[in-house]
Amino acid sequence: MATVIQIIFGLIAALVVGAAVMVVTVRNVIHAALWLIACFFGVGALYMLLEAEFLAVVQVLVYVGAISILILFAIMLTRQVTGEGVRQLVGGWRLWLTAAISALLFAVAIVPTIISHAWNLPAPPGPPGTPEPLDGVAELGRAFVYEFLLQFQVAGVLLTVALIGAIVIAFEERARRRRVLTLAEEHELRKRLAQPAPMEAPAGEPAPAPRAAPISEGEAQQ
Amino acid sequence: MTAAVPLEAVLVVAGALFCIGLFGALSRRNLVGVLMGIELMLNAVNVNLVAFWRYLEPRFITGQTFAIFIICVAAAEAAVGLAMVIAIYRNWLTVNADAVDSLKG
Amino acid sequence: MYDIIDALLNRALGFGWPGWVIALISHLAVTTLLFVIAPLQMLFLTYYERRAIARMQDRIGPNRVGPAGLFQPIADGVKMFTKEDIVPAAADKWVHFLAPCVVVAPTMLMFAVLPWGPGMVPVDLSVGLLFFFAISSISAVGLLMAGLASSNKFALLGAMRAVAQMVSYEIPAVLSLLAVVMLTGTLSVVQVIEAQAGLFISRADVPGIPDLGLGWFIFTPVGFLAFVVFFIAALAEGERTPFDIPEADSEIVAGYMTEYSGMKFGLFYLAQYVLNFLLCAIAAVIFFGGWQGPGVNWLYAQAISPANPDGNWVFNVLAGFLGVFYLLAKTYAFFFVMVWVRGAFPRLRVDQLMDFGWKFLIPLTLVNIVSAAIWVALLRWGPEQGITFTQNWAPVLRWGVAFVVTLAVNVGAYIALARIFAAAQAGQGRIDLDEYRDTLTATLR
Repeated sequence: MATVIQIIFGLIAALVVGAAVMVVTVRNVIHAALWLIACFFGVGALYMLLEAEFLAVVQVLVYVGAISILILFAIMLTRQVTGEGVRQLVGGWRLWLTAAISALLFAVAIVPTIISHAWNLPAPPGPPGTPEPLDGVAELGRAFVYEFLLQFQVAGVLLTVALIGAIVIAFEERARRRRVLTLAEEHELRKRLAQPAPMEAPAGEPAPAPRAAPISEGEAQQ
Repeated sequence: MTAAVPLEAVLVVAGALFCIGLFGALSRRNLVGVLMGIELMLNAVNVNLVAFWRYLEPRFITGQTFAIFIICVAAAEAAVGLAMVIAIYRNWLTVNADAVDSLKG
Repeated sequence: MYDIIDALLNRALGFGWPGWVIALISHLAVTTLLFVIAPLQMLFLTYYERRAIARMQDRIGPNRVGPAGLFQPIADGVKMFTKEDIVPAAADKWVHFLAPCVVVAPTMLMFAVLPWGPGMVPVDLSVGLLFFFAISSISAVGLLMAGLASSNKFALLGAMRAVAQMVSYEIPAVLSLLAVVMLTGTLSVVQVIEAQAGLFISRADVPGIPDLGLGWFIFTPVGFLAFVVFFIAALAEGERTPFDIPEADSEIVAGYMTEYSGMKFGLFYLAQYVLNFLLCAIAAVIFFGGWQGPGVNWLYAQAISPANPDGNWVFNVLAGFLGVFYLLAKTYAFFFVMVWVRGAFPRLRVDQLMDFGWKFLIPLTLVNIVSAAIWVALLRWGPEQGITFTQNWAPVLRWGVAFVVTLAVNVGAYIALARIFAAAQAGQGRIDLDEYRDTLTATLR
C-alpha cells in the first residue's frame, strides 16, 4: 500500500513540476495559462492525497474555476496587435541570471535546509494501520467562527475591496460606450424629434420604454 | 500518507514550485505571464503549509485555515492585478513589461 | 457496491479474496456502469426533448426512425460520427482538439457523487456537494479554450458571453445550496438525502415524525426559495432557454461551437445534455429527497448494508430499483419543466441576463441565507448557543414558529427585491434625447 501511495505522489509531483516548467517557458501565453491550469489540478490532487479534502475542492473551485478564467479573459482582452512575434522571455544575460538565481535558491538554500532540519514528527496515535483522527470541514467552519473570526471578517472586507477596486480600475467611461438603440427606441425618438410637443410613451411599449429628458431648445428649431 | 512519503519530499516539491514561479515572475515579459509566476509561488507556499499541517499538527485545523486565507488573498490580488493589466493595455496598447517604462528614471 | 460484491464473491461463492481486490472490482464495475449510463441518459433526453417541444409547438417530432422515432438519437449519433472533422487552418490545433474534452470530462466526473439509491453512491465524499459545483465550473475553461482556439471573431465573442453567463450564475446556484447546507450541517450529498426522511417535515427538525421518505426541503420556505433560485440558475448554467445566448443560431452563428463539426460537436452536445441531466438530478437530490420516497428506507433496513451485513440481497435489489425509480422520476419531471420553459419563453438579451443574475438572484439568495440562519437558530439551537426562549417549547411549536418567520422573511424579501429590480430596469430605459440627436437627425427623412 505504501508503494502505491509513493507512486501516486511521484506522478502528482511530476505533473506539478512539469506543468510549472512549461508555464514559464512556452512562447504562447495562452498555452502558458493552460499549463497553469494543469499545475493547479496537480496541486489540488496533492491536497487530496494529503487528506485536506475541503482545501482540494476549494483549490479547484477558486483557482481552476475562477482565477484561471480571469487570466484567460485578461489574455483575450490584451492580445498584441502585432501578433506573437514579440519574445516572451527577457533576453540574453538577464535570462541566465534569473535562472541561476532560481537554481541557486533551490539547491543551496531550500533543499539543504529541508533535509538537514530535524522535523519532530509526532508519533501516530495507535498501531500502524489505524486511521488518524483528522480535522475535517466541520472543524474548519468552527475555527472560522470562533478562533479566526477577525481574520475571516478581514478577508471578507479584503475581497469586497478587491471586487470594487477591480471594477473601478478596469471601468470604461460611459462616454466611450454608446448604447445601441433598439428599433422601437429609435422609432420613438424619431417621432419625438419630428413633433414639437412632448408626447406620452404609449402604454404598450415593450420593456425599455424611452422616457426621455424634457425636450430642450433643440426641438424648437425643428 | 505520512508513513509512505517523507515530509522532506513534499517540501522539496513545494520549494521547486516556488523557484520555478520565481523564475517565471522575473523573466517573463508579458505582464500576465508575470502574474502567472506569482500564482505559482502562492501555490507553492500553500502546499508547504498543508504539508506542515498534515505531518506536524494534524489535530489543529490552523494549517488549513492559513492556506484558505492565502487562497482568498491570491484571488483578490489576481483580480486587481489583472484589472490593472487591462487598464495598462487600454492606455499603451501593449502588455510588454519592457515597454511600460514611463516611471523609469 | 463493495458490500454486494463482497457478499457475492466471498460468501456466496466462497472465494477468499482480500479487501483491495474487492474494492478494485467494485470501483471498476461502478465506473463502467456510469460510463454506460451517462450517454444513454443523453440519448433518451434528446429524444424526450424533441418530442415534448414538438407537441408544444403543435408538431409531432421525430417519428420516422424506428417505432415512434425511438431510434432517432442513434441516427443522430451515426450522423455525428461520420461527419467530416474540419479544423480551421489558422486554429490552434492542440487547444482546439482538447476543448471538447475539457468540456465533457467534468460532466462525467460529476456522476461520482450522485447517489442513485440507498447505499448506491460511487464515492461518498465528505465535501460531495461542493465537489459537484467545483467540477462543474471547470467546463467554463473548456468553453474559453474553444473560443480562443477557433481564430474566429464570433467564436471568441460567443465564448466570452457563455463564460460570463456560466460564471455569473454559479454564484446564485452555490449560495442557494449554502442555505440547504446550513439546514443539514453537512456538505456530504448522502447525508443531505438522509436528512430528508419524514413526512413533509424532515426528521432532523422534529424527531418522531413517521418516516415515509417525504420530509423534503422543498416543503420549507427556505428550501422553496432556494429551489426556485437554483432552478433558474441551473437553466442558465446548462445554457437552456431563456438563457441560451451562447448557442443562439440567429444571433451569433453557433457561438463557441462555430468551428466544430463531427464528433467534436457531438461531444459538446453530449456535455450539454449530460450537464442538464445532472443539474436536474442534483436539484431532485437536494430539494426533493433524491431517492427518498415512500418505502425505500423500510426496504433498505432489511438489505445488505454496512449497518446490516447479514441482510437479504433481494431487499437490496428492491430498494435499489425503487430508489432509482424515484430519482429518475423527479429528474425527468424537472427536465420536462426545462423543456416547457424552452417552449414558452423567448430568449433574454445578454445584458438582461447579467442584470437578472447579479442584481436580483444574488440578493435573493443572501436573504435566503439569513432565513436559513433563523431556521437553524429556532429549531436546533438551545441555551448553550444563547437562545433561551425556545427552551421549553415542543418541537412542533418550534417548527411552526420557524416556518412562519422564514416564510414572512422570504416573501417580504422577494416582493421588495422584485420591486427594486423592476424599477431599476425601467429606469435604464430612460434615454437622453440630446445624446442621440445627431445620429437621428442625420437620417431623418
